[in-house]
Amino acid sequence: MNGEIDRSWRDPELLVKALPSVILQTAFFLAPLLMTVALTFQRTKNFQLTWTWSLDTWTDIFTKPHYWTILGHTLFMAITCVILCLVIAFPVAYALATRLRAFQDHVKVLITFAFLTDATLKTFGWVLFLDKNGAANYLLQQVGFPPATIDILFTDWATMLGMVYNLLSFAIFTIYLSIDAIDRSLILAAYDAGASKFRTFWEVTLPLARPGIWAASVLIFLLAVGVFLEPKVLGGGKSPMSAELIRQTFETRVNWPLGAALTLVLMTVAVFVVLLFNRVYSLKRHMGPV
Amino acid sequence: MSWYSDLPKFYQNQIKAMGLDDEGMSRRRLLKTAGAAAGAAAMSGLTFGRSARAASQMSYMCWEGYNDPRIIDPFKAANDVDIAFDLIVDSPGGFAKLQAGASREIDLVSSDMPWVTRMGPAGLALELNPDDYADVYATFYDQFKPPFEPLMSEGKTIGVATRWGWVGGCINTDITDPDTWRSYDPVFDAKNKDKICVMDWGDWPILPMALHAGIDPYQELDAAALEEVRKVLRAMFKNTRTLVADLTQAQKGLLDGSLLGCIGAGSYLTSAVRKQGHKNIIATVPDPKNGLKQGIIWVEATAIVKETDQPELAQKLLKHVVSKEAGHILSLLDTTCNVVTNKAVEALYTDEEKSILQTDYMWHAWDNSQMHRIAPNIDEMLAIWQEELAAAQ
Repeated sequence: MNGEIDRSWRDPELLVKALPSVILQTAFFLAPLLMTVALTFQRTKNFQLTWTWSLDTWTDIFTKPHYWTILGHTLFMAITCVILCLVIAFPVAYALATRLRAFQDHVKVLITFAFLTDATLKTFGWVLFLDKNGAANYLLQQVGFPPATIDILFTDWATMLGMVYNLLSFAIFTIYLSIDAIDRSLILAAYDAGASKFRTFWEVTLPLARPGIWAASVLIFLLAVGVFLEPKVLGGGKSPMSAELIRQTFETRVNWPLGAALTLVLMTVAVFVVLLFNRVYSLKRHMGPV
Repeated sequence: MSWYSDLPKFYQNQIKAMGLDDEGMSRRRLLKTAGAAAGAAAMSGLTFGRSARAASQMSYMCWEGYNDPRIIDPFKAANDVDIAFDLIVDSPGGFAKLQAGASREIDLVSSDMPWVTRMGPAGLALELNPDDYADVYATFYDQFKPPFEPLMSEGKTIGVATRWGWVGGCINTDITDPDTWRSYDPVFDAKNKDKICVMDWGDWPILPMALHAGIDPYQELDAAALEEVRKVLRAMFKNTRTLVADLTQAQKGLLDGSLLGCIGAGSYLTSAVRKQGHKNIIATVPDPKNGLKQGIIWVEATAIVKETDQPELAQKLLKHVVSKEAGHILSLLDTTCNVVTNKAVEALYTDEEKSILQTDYMWHAWDNSQMHRIAPNIDEMLAIWQEELAAAQ
């Protein structure tokens, strides 16, 4: 080990160098977070915040089951979204990195275009497509299906479709980078040692792509717990997720203490789940191949 | 021709309001060369759109539509004033912004009446002397002439009513009989499952349902009454196909027949579609039930902010907004069409415009409606809404 690696938080030079970052973090992250915490101990009456210290909001949160119902539903949707994104994104990323190298630039540009297109536009586009009188049902009717064969709009299925569609490109690119970075000579060495294609994939490619898969999982999960457009527009608002509950609490109920408390609960649960992800990932890595 | 002339009128208005039109951009270039101080000032939201040429400047917090150039430009020209707009998207949000300090910048506010009235006790509004507005009130409908109690606080007049409409059932007469909507019963009819749309606009869908349950939401409610509200919302969610916060989604559903009816909205939703020729889309008000009026009248009002440094100019602008000419424009915007409080505007309407606004129905709606104000138990009712929505999953 050299001296630089030995440096710790007690190193004055390092502390001075870190100071601007610490100031920025304190001013723009820690201070607002503390204000959010302080806000949860206030009260509202008739849409107005009253600065009186109270535990009412937290009592409300821990005694009303519907907040936890919505949080549970949010976690279920987010984890399902992660699984679906991985299942779809991995083959795409693998094909891009290995089989479609000649077209990968074109495919990447196409995915980037889809990624950069405004999510609101894409989500409303799905409404027109999935509607009872929409494009999908029209096309199906033309080939003999009965009217309104596809009737998933304003259901959780439509919400999930929108979530996966809007978040998929994050997973594809993250996993692609991981697969693309794999040293091809390791795969060839496995073949030389007599491994089958499947065994090479299972014991070489997949373990080496694991950092990308885990990174994509965490990224998709954090984005998925925060979605509110898809449940609102495609889900019809009947099955709200936590972000929509928070928006509704801040905007419609104008109950800022409750909104702040729900935000903290969601943040805490999301961080806990991510830490759990990391723990599982560490254990897996410690125990060897996937 | 300009870079934005092919965009819909709504976006053109937004571009102009934000000072991104040609004139606004010229002003920005001018400001840029005027030095760092002027440049910094130009970066503040309120400074956008202010002309260096105008003798004075004002700030107007209002709903989209009140900033229509056809309304504002003549006033600007006549008074050598430039106006910066602070467009609100919800009334509580606008009120909160004023309370948070925007009242030092804003001169005039046009918002929902309960929130304008609330500006009085909050110390945000300049008390109006009705005698100073006698010329304005002279052509008003009698219903809005002073003393107009909903706009008064502790005997003081807080604002002037500008635009109004009603909340009830919004339906497509081609697919449902308007007579069946003389009550809210179709909302709960099992045969209409997954055909009902609810506007997710805060208290708007809750209040009509409370009225249907026989509860007057504008009175202080006890636990038993709140339980009735809970029951009626639970029943409503059973038949609901979608909750929408976006007008166009509800309008599309009514037009294509995928939605039988929409509640929590009214003339505000249907009028823009009627303007496009779809006269089969109407806003109705149910008949009174057990003596309790089932419709709700909403009113927008305009008030002068107490801290304005230009009370005379603010008064002039207020009078201009409710004038005959401005009222005609305000009642027939591209985004929504609603009747105004100035009776003189009626003389300017064509038959087609009267049909768009359902003027033949408006007093029937008025007679069968409650006047909207802030419900005392709205916090509890919104909490119940969230609980029942979560339980309906």
